[in-house]
Amino acid sequence: MKKKNIFLQLALTAALLASTFSTTAHAAEATTTRDIPVGGSGQVEMVGTIEPTILSVTMPSFVPFNISNSLSTQNKVISPRINVKNNSNVPVQVDVASTKVDISKLKNTTWSNTGAVNDNQIAIGLKQEDTPNTMPTDLANTRWLKDNQTEEMNVMVLNSNQEGAMYVVGTLGQKVSESATFNVTPTFVVSQTSGN
Amino acid sequence: MSKKKKRALMAIGILLLLLITIAVCYFLFTREDTTDLQYDDNATAGILPGVDVDERRKELQNILDRSMIAFSINTSPVFLNGTSEGNLLIENPGNNAKLLRVSIVVDKTEEEIYASKYLKPGTYIENVKLDKVLEKGTYDATAYFSAYEEESGEYIGRTGAHITLTVQN
Repeated sequence: MKKKNIFLQLALTAALLASTFSTTAHAAEATTTRDIPVGGSGQVEMVGTIEPTILSVTMPSFVPFNISNSLSTQNKVISPRINVKNNSNVPVQVDVASTKVDISKLKNTTWSNTGAVNDNQIAIGLKQEDTPNTMPTDLANTRWLKDNQTEEMNVMVLNSNQEGAMYVVGTLGQKVSESATFNVTPTFVVSQTSGN
Repeated sequence: MSKKKKRALMAIGILLLLLITIAVCYFLFTREDTTDLQYDDNATAGILPGVDVDERRKELQNILDRSMIAFSINTSPVFLNGTSEGNLLIENPGNNAKLLRVSIVVDKTEEEIYASKYLKPGTYIENVKLDKVLEKGTYDATAYFSAYEEESGEYIGRTGAHITLTVQN
């Protein structure tokens, strides 16, 4: 009987010690990571932040050019390379939002919206670069600038972080005065391409 | 030959040399004086415009390169209500070397609803309050970036970006 009591006391002490170690180990685990058992339940908080789409572009704000009948090519414009760089992570398109034309100093001269000119007409447009760093010699695929236009006209589409270039091109009739200057002011507007 | 004769010949020789020198100098200087070049004040130094296409193109390229501007803007800023601030996120990057001013115009009404002051290169504006109170809704608008010379403040040109503004309440 006495032996049985001692055995029971030992068993109880062992059970208590085992329980204490188990609790300590569990507490230590809780401070690090916790596994969610398959088929069990757990709560994980996920926080999402919507990042705004930033349009970031480098483009000219002023485009100078010269036009002269003395050029032997179909394109009579000497134009700089109009470089546009899309620094955004989204594709963009470049449009001419509006064009202001002032040819009041050119007497008896009218503007052509189509590129076809008579002796007293002048036409100016924009053309994408075909050969790198080379001014276009012909007028094929030209987007012609319309006198005091208000409708948007697309001139370029750029993928994310892509660069593109275009040139001013144009032609003029034989009787257009070459002794005066005129102003064509297109306003370029960029926008994120639709569908993106 | 006597000493006297030798001296006389030497004197004549020196005299002749002097006379020849004077004659040459007179000829040279008087000729230059009579053909004095008259330069035209109306002439401009350089190559005649239009003659050298490549040279003219380089000049135009320099002008265009000076007008290049970089900018950033949020394509869809959100305003809690018509009088609260919205996240426009406009930036004039440090490599611009130009001052920028931003003007936002509602496409439909052509009404200017926001105009910034000058932004120095390397600065940005995160949130703005519109100058006009807008009703709840979505507005297609164009943000015009006007560029100015940093030193003189002289206007260079402008370009734009399409954005969509949302006023939530």
